[in-house]
Amino acid sequence: MILSKLKEALICIMAGRATLPYPFKPHDPAADFRGYPEVDVDKCIGCGACAAVCPARLIKIEDKDQTTRHITRLLERCVFCGRCADVCPEDAITMTGQFQLTSDQVRQDLVHECDIFMATCKRCGHCYEPATPLDRIMSPGFRHDQIDRGGDRCRHTHVRADQAEAEAVGTADGEDS
Amino acid sequence: MTTKEIGVELETQFGESVLEVSSPHPGRMYVTIDPGSVAEVAAYLQDGLGCRFVINAGTDRRRERGKFLVTHFFAKDEDHIYLALHAEVAEDAPHIASITNAVPGANWAEREIRDMIGVVPDGHPDPRRLVLSDDWPEDLYPLRWDVEHGIKPPLAECAVPRKPPPEGTSVVPLGPYFPTLEEPAYFRLFVEGESVVGADYRGFYNHRGIEKLGCSVLTYNQIPFIAERICGICGTVHSTSYCQTVEAAAGIDVPERAEYIRTILLELERLESHLLWLGIAGHVVGFETVLMQVWRMREPLMWLCERLTGNRKTYGMNIVGGVRRDIAPDLYDDISRVISDIEGEWQALYDALPGDSTLMGRLKGTGILTREVAEKYCAVGPTARGSGVAIDVRVDHPYAAYDRVEVKKCVYDGCDNLSRTLVRLDETLDSISIIRQALADIPDGAILAEIDEDIPGGRQAMSAVEAPRGEVFHWLLTGGENRPERWRVRAPTYANLQVVPPMLEGTDLADAPLGIASFDPCFSCTDRMEVLDVDSGQIRVCSGDELSHKMETTERS
Repeated sequence: MILSKLKEALICIMAGRATLPYPFKPHDPAADFRGYPEVDVDKCIGCGACAAVCPARLIKIEDKDQTTRHITRLLERCVFCGRCADVCPEDAITMTGQFQLTSDQVRQDLVHECDIFMATCKRCGHCYEPATPLDRIMSPGFRHDQIDRGGDRCRHTHVRADQAEAEAVGTADGEDS
Repeated sequence: MTTKEIGVELETQFGESVLEVSSPHPGRMYVTIDPGSVAEVAAYLQDGLGCRFVINAGTDRRRERGKFLVTHFFAKDEDHIYLALHAEVAEDAPHIASITNAVPGANWAEREIRDMIGVVPDGHPDPRRLVLSDDWPEDLYPLRWDVEHGIKPPLAECAVPRKPPPEGTSVVPLGPYFPTLEEPAYFRLFVEGESVVGADYRGFYNHRGIEKLGCSVLTYNQIPFIAERICGICGTVHSTSYCQTVEAAAGIDVPERAEYIRTILLELERLESHLLWLGIAGHVVGFETVLMQVWRMREPLMWLCERLTGNRKTYGMNIVGGVRRDIAPDLYDDISRVISDIEGEWQALYDALPGDSTLMGRLKGTGILTREVAEKYCAVGPTARGSGVAIDVRVDHPYAAYDRVEVKKCVYDGCDNLSRTLVRLDETLDSISIIRQALADIPDGAILAEIDEDIPGGRQAMSAVEAPRGEVFHWLLTGGENRPERWRVRAPTYANLQVVPPMLEGTDLADAPLGIASFDPCFSCTDRMEVLDVDSGQIRVCSGDELSHKMETTERS
């Protein structure tokens, strides 16, 4: 019995102090920790894939009118699974390392809302977010990727738009092509 | 015996009562019988063929077939078979013969079917309400398709009558907030002096509506994340078992690398759980040093899992078809180092504890669960293995990569608390060995199967996984619109808790908490369905309509 107690005591002494000084010193989680899901609203195209896969069904999509999609996230229910980030086609969602999320004002702190201007590219039909308010006012035309292209090329049809232009010059006389 | 031979036996014994026999997957068979003979067939499966009762399920198939489906699930472990016994009862006569008198392990399961689907088990010895709360109205059966998942019925007075204590005994309540495990569970112990002569259990305080969600509003790939949260510590076992049912039902081939990754995660989870339990066991007997030191040695494992999966627990790794994240080869050394450190610490502990006569005095000879009682009530996991019942799903019904690694069944005959402790200690060491084997043999390749089509309806599959507490069993019936029709979950503690009242008989009152804790009960796993109140500020799953109402009030305020 005494020997057993000595061995147990040795285990304790060898262990020393195991407690971290958190919260008095910060403690960062691992690199790929799944914490608070941050949404880059500028990248969002309002496709709703995140809402379709969320297991807690906390993402609510409401079309306010023909061109405005309102997305609400009740993040108090988030389980931080990261499926929204996985499926977002625009990589607009990042699982951050933020885990300190307790709040006594949950309705203020943990509800995320945004309005997405909805437009579809006339060439390929994919949804996109026009870069500037001016583009939004003008009839939505093509989706842009690079600003240096003059802001009127759809990323998906980038090459095809160029070719189409080149071809269009060739058939300018109205010949059948 | 093969599934074919079992089919022949049943047809020989019961002739016309056997309506259909099928075996769509290896080790699985589905037998549909006339409901009038369910009691005889169940008794024959258990006593004649040596099968073990697992669980049953009630499914509302009135829309498709005008019937309720009652299914009893059995396991024939030595032949690696799971058998589903289907019986349909008419919707205007929702009754079926009870099998509990012949199969005592079915006691709770039949009461649950009555609560949830409304099919009454005629002749059941104790037909009290089991899972629904005392204020849930009668005649409102949550798992029927016409009961909305978000329903909030008016309060009713349906208190479950408590079993009166036998003559000359008094009641010592352990609960409803269980003192040492700090979870809601209510054991009413009937005591004579210091000796426990009987017990009555009332649980299901944490019922959450998970199966209802699964068969009403969730899609196939949302369920793994809910399944993972059935339990706070057995996460991956539930998500793996569920994904395996969908994969089997739809004929999806999981890539081999994903199977190995699942195996590694399942064993890491076993380590986390057994080390947690060892600490809790120490805490329950007042030996706080064991709690502190074991949880200290467990902590690097939690950080490892955070590096591997993105979280300490609730790994979120499983979806249908495989896993979401790969384990990069440079993490193999990380895993090896952590488990080697644990192995070293385990050895030091194993060296120190047996000589501690105070601790041994609390463990040895207490909480006796005879092999007979364990088998009679269909106990599983270390609870059963500590009483000489040599069953382990990893060996009896291999899944993931378990058919490609060597797994040891850790069995002890002591039938006491010490026996169950030794089972878990041995399993801890064996888990380390399995992880090492898996890391050595894991092949390269994809981690997720490509799924191009909807999951077809009308298919079913059974899947089981050996959780740290025993056999987890899932059954799935696929439905239309690419959603499940019915998803049934049986966690091991559901079976093991039924063993507690007979186990406690004849023990000292002081040993009761440890006896209960030695089963490593997971009340979260057992109580899988609940509806909580939103107005009191507690979290609850809202329907779409309720959410929009909530949204409007938020905007206004």
